[in-house]
Parts: sequence; C-alpha cells; structure tokens
Amino acid sequence: MDINDAVSEERGTRLTQGLGLLADMGRDFADTRDIEGTLTRALTRITEYLDSEGGALFLLEDEGRILRCHASVGVIRIDGLTLPFDHGVVGNVVLTSQARIVRDVTSDPNFDNTVDNRTGFSTRSILCAPMSIKDECIGAIEVINKRGRDGRFEPADLALLEILCSSAAMALLNARLTASLVEQERVRREIELAAEIQRNLLPAALASDFPLFGLNIPARSVSGDFYDYFTLADGRIAWCLGDVSGKGINAALLMAKTASLYRCLGKTETSPRHLLARINDEICETATRGMFVTLVGGIYDPVADKVCFANAGHEPPLYHARDGSFREFEAAAPPLGILAVGDDTKMFPEIELSLKGGAFYVFTDGVTEGALASGEPLGAEGVRQALRDNAKLPLNDRIATIARLLDRDDGALHDDITLLGIDAARPAGTPSDEEQADLPFLYRFAARAELLQGARNAVRDYLTKKGAAENDANDVVLAIDEACQNVIRHAYCGMEAGDIVLEMALAGSHLIVDVRDFAPEIDDITLAPRKLDETRPGGLGTHFMREIMDEVAFLRPSDGIGNLLRMMKQIPVSPVVTKL
Amino acid sequence: MEHLIREDRGVLVISLTGDVDLESSPRARTVLLECVGQNRTVFVDMSAIAYIDSSGVASLVEAFQSARKGGNRFALVAVSEVALRVLQLARLDRIFPIHASLNDAFADDA
Repeated sequence: MDINDAVSEERGTRLTQGLGLLADMGRDFADTRDIEGTLTRALTRITEYLDSEGGALFLLEDEGRILRCHASVGVIRIDGLTLPFDHGVVGNVVLTSQARIVRDVTSDPNFDNTVDNRTGFSTRSILCAPMSIKDECIGAIEVINKRGRDGRFEPADLALLEILCSSAAMALLNARLTASLVEQERVRREIELAAEIQRNLLPAALASDFPLFGLNIPARSVSGDFYDYFTLADGRIAWCLGDVSGKGINAALLMAKTASLYRCLGKTETSPRHLLARINDEICETATRGMFVTLVGGIYDPVADKVCFANAGHEPPLYHARDGSFREFEAAAPPLGILAVGDDTKMFPEIELSLKGGAFYVFTDGVTEGALASGEPLGAEGVRQALRDNAKLPLNDRIATIARLLDRDDGALHDDITLLGIDAARPAGTPSDEEQADLPFLYRFAARAELLQGARNAVRDYLTKKGAAENDANDVVLAIDEACQNVIRHAYCGMEAGDIVLEMALAGSHLIVDVRDFAPEIDDITLAPRKLDETRPGGLGTHFMREIMDEVAFLRPSDGIGNLLRMMKQIPVSPVVTKL
Repeated sequence: MEHLIREDRGVLVISLTGDVDLESSPRARTVLLECVGQNRTVFVDMSAIAYIDSSGVASLVEAFQSARKGGNRFALVAVSEVALRVLQLARLDRIFPIHASLNDAFADDA
C-alpha cells in the first residue's frame, strides 16, 4: 500500500466515523431527558475523536452575559466555571460566531491563562467552534491540545467540530423546547387541579327551592372571586360573596384562604360585623403585600325573609323590592386585609333589611364592568335593567341570564363574573308564570300495576296546580288510570312490560291527554265499552274513559310504534294562584 | 289498600281503606268473596276509600252477584264521595244497596 492510498483510506475511515458519531449524537439527544449527561457523553466522544487532551462545552447564560462550562472532559475539569461572555478564545468564538483554530495560544491575544494558572494545566493549542442555529449562538465547544503528530489541529478538524457543534446546538434547543413544553403541561395540569379545588370551595347546589343561588364564571381557569352559603343550626343561612384584588394564582390562593375562613368561622360567629372583623384580622396577620379582599357577608333568615349583612369595600349590593324599586348599599368599611381592627367591631357596620318578598343581589365588579356584545360595559344601570327584565324568572335562571349577557360565545370575558341572589318568592327551580302556563305534563313509567298510584298522583298534582277543580281532577285521574290499565292488561298482556308515556296539556280550559305505549298494535274492538245494563265486569274501564272525557280516540303514533290513545275534555279552570 | 274484617251484630263488616286499584283489587276481591262465601250478611264500609277504579268496582260487583246467588245480603256502607262518584259513573249506584252509615244498614235490616 503506498502512502497516498493509506492517507485516503484514513480520511475515508475518519469521514465514516465522523458521520457515525453525528448519527449517534443525534439519537442520544433525541431520547434523553438528561441533557447535561448527554452533553458530557457527546463531548467525550468529540474529544476522543479529535484525539485531544481535553474538551469543554460552554453555554451562554444569564441572558447572554456569562458563559458557563456545562461539561468538561480529559485533562481539564472545569464544570461550572463561568466566564464573561466576551472572555477568552471561547468568548471570541461566541461573539463572532466564527470557529477558530489557535495553534499556539501564546501568540493569541484572546487567550486567557486564568484557567491554566488555576489548574496548573498548560494549554498549547485550541480548537473552538460556536454552537449556533441560524443567527443564534447558544454556546461553544472547545477541544484542547491535539495529541500526536505535531500537536496541531488541522482545518479538517475544525470543519468536523463545526458540524458536530451545530448538531449539538440543534439537539440542545430541541431538548430545551421539549422541557419547556413538559413544564408548561405540568403547570397547566396543576392549574387545572387548583381550579377544580376552587370549584369545590363553592357551595354545592341545594334543593331546587333553596332561596339562595350563586354563580361564578372565572375568566381564567382559577378565580379570585368566590361566594358561599350554608345553613346554620337554627335554620338561618350564612352567605358571602368576595373578590380578591388581582388575578391569577396568588389571588386564587387568597380566595381559598378567605372562603375557608368564612366557612369555618361563620359556623360559630353569626354576627356579620364580628365575623368580618375576625376574618379581616386573620388575613392581616399573614398579609401578602398589597393584596386585599372586598366582601359582603351576612345572614339570611328565611322565616322573617330578612338579611343582615356588612359590606367590606365591595361593590354595593342591590335590593330589588316587590314594587320594582332598587336600593343600593354602599360599603361603609374598608376591604379585608388592609388594617387589623382588633376589638373594634364597629369597623364593619351591619345593615338589616327586610326583603318583604323582594330580591337581594351581591355581585363583583366583573358584572358591572363586564362588556356587552356591543362593547359597552353593562354598568350599574344595565344590571338593574337586566334584573327588572328577568324578574319573573326563577332565581337561578335570572342569574344565569345576566351572566350570559357577559359570558358570550365570543370569549370576550376579561374578568371573573360572580353573582349571588336571595329570593324566597321565586327561588331556583320554580317555573316562571309563562312556563307554568305552557308547561306540558310528561310522565313515563313501566306498565306495571304497582306504579299506577305514582302516575295518578302526578296527574292529580298537575291538574290541581293548573287550577282544575277537585272533582274534575279526580275524574280525569280515573280516565287516565283506566287507559293505563288497558295498556297493562291488553297491550302488554303476557309480555314483558314496556313503558307508558303520559303527556298532557291544559291550555285554557282545553285538556288533551295522550297515553302512549310501545306494544304491538291492538284492535280497539277489544276495548269496546260494556253495555250498561250488564253488571258483569269488563269493559267498565273504557266506559269510564268515554263517560268522563269528551273525546277518546285511538291514533297511530307518528313513528308507527305502539299505540296512542288521545283523550280530550273541556274543564273549567280557576285562575292559577302563583306563589309570590 | 288496607282491609279490616270485624263482626258486628252477626254481620261481617269489611272496611276497605286507601286506593282500590289494579294492584290491590285482587286482594279486595279475595277478601270480599271469602266473606260472602261464609253465607252471612256482608257490609262493606267504604268511608275510607280514597280511590277506586273499574277493577275495584268489578270486585264489588262479583261479590254482590255471589251473595245474591247464595241468598245473602250484601250492602255498601258510608261510601266516600270519591267512590260514590265512580259508582255513579258506572251507573251502579242504584244497583248496589247503599247505606249512609252502618247504623242505617242495621236499621234497614230490622
């Protein structure tokens, strides 16, 4: 083999090894979580590959002000060493983004011998290339003192180091990006958890006729607003609504603290001014700089229909009297968490108010300052108008309607929306007058004899509520019961019982009842009424139906399944007395 | 539905209480027919019937027919307003012997 062949073979081998090294590094970086370890492994292989005595990898840190050694191998161990970003050969390479060969450090003006002096190592030659992607340089790798031959690095070494460096830079950026995504995801999950815990701090929905109803719609996942209510041992209901200054996690944490204090202390301290004073001092004791809570807290007495409350720096609560007038209650005390008051319980004066069938609302400034679809803020007058417009809705629908004015599908919600209402006259879940008038009756049950009583009760309730006289209601109950019995005995006879669906509507004095089953079609001849001069049983039920109702007709259900019996009757109804 | 059977002055008095409907009328029928089967006068106290349907009425009809066949007296006593309305609808109010009270029923017997 002549010398030229040997050289070209060696070059070929080096090229293959170089590519192999590149590929290995790429793989290593791709599936590592341990970036430092991977960087050290990469540096070790580069240093070995370039046949050098040592190597070091520097990354820019502290917004590019310093270079820190993140990995070092071979004769120098300088992990953690920091240099000013423009210092030494490394600094020069990073600054210029140009790879460099320094064959003799003594003749290079950039060379800094501080490290040599500290380590006792003697640097002779340096090969250094920037780790850069596009125009961004994130650091550099240097290898020191070529072994063998004349101890000098060749341009080919530099070219290879440059390639390895840019590959390492790419891998490092990817790893950083992945790490930040993982971190973002972790934070997102934690905020999600925090939001769930927060939601659980709000009171659970109570019985539908409960006179209080609250709603909180956070603008972000966590909220600085809160409300609460709970029934005391004597039957009165403690309630509050508050707004923590600021937004985000810190506000959410103070919200959690205040809400917990209220719930805990509010069970024994039922005087709002004492309670607010105690919570105020608790918050002051561990105050986070500059944060405070505006809060209205009080007690509702459902027997007397009376509230007693204190307002600590919060948006004025609003009383909507039965005569349609409104009254505001400006805060007479500072927000909680600003100044400890000790025994001075006059700090949070109480207001007593008889609701007399009217409604009482507390809300956050997210409501008054919230933007309508037009971009205009809802404003205090807008809140009154909305309450006036929706006064006939049950409390929960009324509050949800106002929230919907602000929390639209366009996602323009900027602040948390929180509302709490007290209304014994139209509590949550009561149908409005309009709904009550149109509300159709729907009752579905399995066609079994023991379930007929429940169906009869439901039918009777509906008719009575709609103003039917007792005798008429009893008659209609009998007719419907007989129709259901026919279904049980004839339609589903001998089969596993399917369902019966009762639908009924009483509009004006016109009653329509549909009795639907899902059995095979039956022939209505089997349901012919008996002859009245016979006293034998059978057919009597159908007779009752025809006797009681004005019309009885078998119809084909529109979907062709089962049987539909329609009965109609004119019944006089007295005006419905609504609960006011 | 609940029922109570007692003997009063030689007569079996059956009191039916609550809803006599498709679910409970088979029991009412059994009770009525058993009493009638004893070949004695049977009064059915219907003052506490809250609801009665065609199956309940049919049980009364069957017991009444059975009593008549055996030559025994069978009467309805103190029929509640609700039950009376149903008997009227069935046009049975003039077929059953109906008495306003137990005393009236005994007086009629005398």
